[in-house]
Amino acid sequence: MNTTFRCISLTASLILFNLLIAPAQNTYVAKYESSSVFAGIEVGSKGVKMSLLEMEKNARQTGAFHILRDTTINTDFISFTQSTYQATVGALNSLYDVAVKDYHIPTANVFTAISSGVHIQAEKENKLNWVDQLINAFRFNFNEPERKVTVVDVKEEARLSHLGIVPDSRRYNTFLIDIGSGNTKGGYFPSGNTSDFKLFQLTWGTKSVANSTEKTMGSDNSLENYNKQLARVLSNAENAEIIYAINESGSFPMSDNVAFSGGIAWSLATLIYPELIENSVVPVTYEDVLGFSEKLLKNYNTLSDYYLIKAMGDKSLDMNAINREVKRVNQVFDQRSLMAGTGLLLKIMRQFQSVNERKNFYLVKNGSVGWISAFVNQNSPK
Amino acid sequence: MKDAKSLLLLLVSLLLVLVSFVLIWTWGYRYYTSKDEYKVNAKIVLTDSSRVVNHIRDSLQKVYEETISKLDARLDSSLVNSDSLKTQLEVKLAEFFRLSNEIKALLSSRNAGKDFTVARQKLGELQNRAEDLRDKNKLVENENNSLGTIIEQLNKPEKNGGNNQKPLNPDGITNAPNDKGNPVFAVFNASDLRLSAVALNNENEVETAWAEQADKLVGTFTVTNNISQLSNVEMMVVVLQPDGRVLKNSEWDSGSFNTPDGTKIYSYKVNFNYTKGEQKRLLFSLKTDKYQKGNYTMQVYYNGIMIGKASKVLS
Repeated sequence: MNTTFRCISLTASLILFNLLIAPAQNTYVAKYESSSVFAGIEVGSKGVKMSLLEMEKNARQTGAFHILRDTTINTDFISFTQSTYQATVGALNSLYDVAVKDYHIPTANVFTAISSGVHIQAEKENKLNWVDQLINAFRFNFNEPERKVTVVDVKEEARLSHLGIVPDSRRYNTFLIDIGSGNTKGGYFPSGNTSDFKLFQLTWGTKSVANSTEKTMGSDNSLENYNKQLARVLSNAENAEIIYAINESGSFPMSDNVAFSGGIAWSLATLIYPELIENSVVPVTYEDVLGFSEKLLKNYNTLSDYYLIKAMGDKSLDMNAINREVKRVNQVFDQRSLMAGTGLLLKIMRQFQSVNERKNFYLVKNGSVGWISAFVNQNSPK
Repeated sequence: MKDAKSLLLLLVSLLLVLVSFVLIWTWGYRYYTSKDEYKVNAKIVLTDSSRVVNHIRDSLQKVYEETISKLDARLDSSLVNSDSLKTQLEVKLAEFFRLSNEIKALLSSRNAGKDFTVARQKLGELQNRAEDLRDKNKLVENENNSLGTIIEQLNKPEKNGGNNQKPLNPDGITNAPNDKGNPVFAVFNASDLRLSAVALNNENEVETAWAEQADKLVGTFTVTNNISQLSNVEMMVVVLQPDGRVLKNSEWDSGSFNTPDGTKIYSYKVNFNYTKGEQKRLLFSLKTDKYQKGNYTMQVYYNGIMIGKASKVLS
């Protein structure tokens, strides 16, 4: 009796799932009148990410693309263990399946790439054969031996990010800096063409700053001590690396705009300007970030979704969307990670603050799909 | 005869005695009754006096309340008429104390164990109110400083007497980029505001009144300021579409700024350097995929204050 009941309820649940969930998965709302949909699947350090992008017909001029879906399966490929390898192959296969079968995207519009983070780590650990094996397994699974799976190097990834994020109108006067968890990379086009790219790199990222700070805290785990140690870590990073790297990049006289992408840029954009929820890029000033940093330390409670929503003046805004996004930021970054990332951002911004000339600063929210969108754009049929 | 006379005399004297007795009795009675009456009166007086006291107190209370309410009304009206920042400050202060009391009540209640999250949220809100108050305070201080600077600037020519042709402190006032939280004051006047729709016809730009033909919206306006010379001036232009939404050119061009009415989203930010007295003509254009039919409104803001407005109807 119990078994029969279980069978019936399981069948009913599956039917319900198919009726409600499944159709929702392969539907999306197009934003542009004249556009094409592409899928970019990227094997990154943390996992496999698929971005469904709707590209406007003149995306190259306007930089306009719309993210229809953004899905990540965490697999931790760079651990290079058998289980993480299997998980990565599985994720890659299933996301490709979803793109082709569920979303009906032609295989020619599905692009696959391996990120520079994976490539660097594989090179470091002498595991490049794992990357080759992963590519071959993927090709074999879909019986597509000619399928192109590009392994992107760090410079190409930074270049593609610039092409994907920054619109053509600002191509040659914008310095793009991607603050990642373990490092920071970016650059600009110094010669007025998109093939010559000046790469900028720092060994510091949000997580590495936070980790270094944690290590120097000793037994005192208080926030005050964290803040004190953070200031020391950042001061060391600034003196030992940041000042030199920015001077060496030669970007100051070449750039009117400095755009920051990466997780910390997304979180700050969301928390400082919740009213600009619809914007994928928001302008920001050094003073705004400085004020935010003080708020993080002294008044962190007020950065909750509860308060930010309550403090919104314009009630015509999409409060549900703001609420969701602020919640997501607070789930991804805790107070200390935010302090570490904001501190690093301020140190970099400071190098562009001058009495005589002020740069325009921007925070890019959708930087994570920037390079894959440019990759898709570059490889898509014209 | 003698007997008759003495009888009459006796009768008269008896009458007099009787009258006097009656009089004495009457007096006695009146005296006695007057004592009772006094007692009764005294009671009445006592009762009346408390009523009178109450009455007086009530009337005093009324007068007091009336005076206070009049004073309040006068204060309210003066507050309303005075600087809006001060009004906001009062509101913030009231909210601050309300929250403070709520938190006190929540924390003092022994049964509030389950409501600590509410208390925490309210505490966060309280902290932010405090910060808001600090901000507003700074705002008022900034306003005072700015007004002080203007007065100083205005007084200078008089002191210099005849040195009017010399630019006033050319490097003295620099308009620091508009802090998001600090709208200070408007020193600019905007005039000749114009918003028009433009259609591209074989690379020629032709003005149009039809939404379907429009390729971009072009806005122009002239700003003047006879008070100071400013560098790196930022003016925000808000273009509202017929549906009330802000028209954005590109996400890179739009952002938000603070006004006394709250945060607003701008369509375009114009940056320029300004020489005192100059009639600066400014221009911007906005492009979108599709233009709605109806009324488009252009608003120009400087330091959070609207200095000009124009509109355009597209059919």
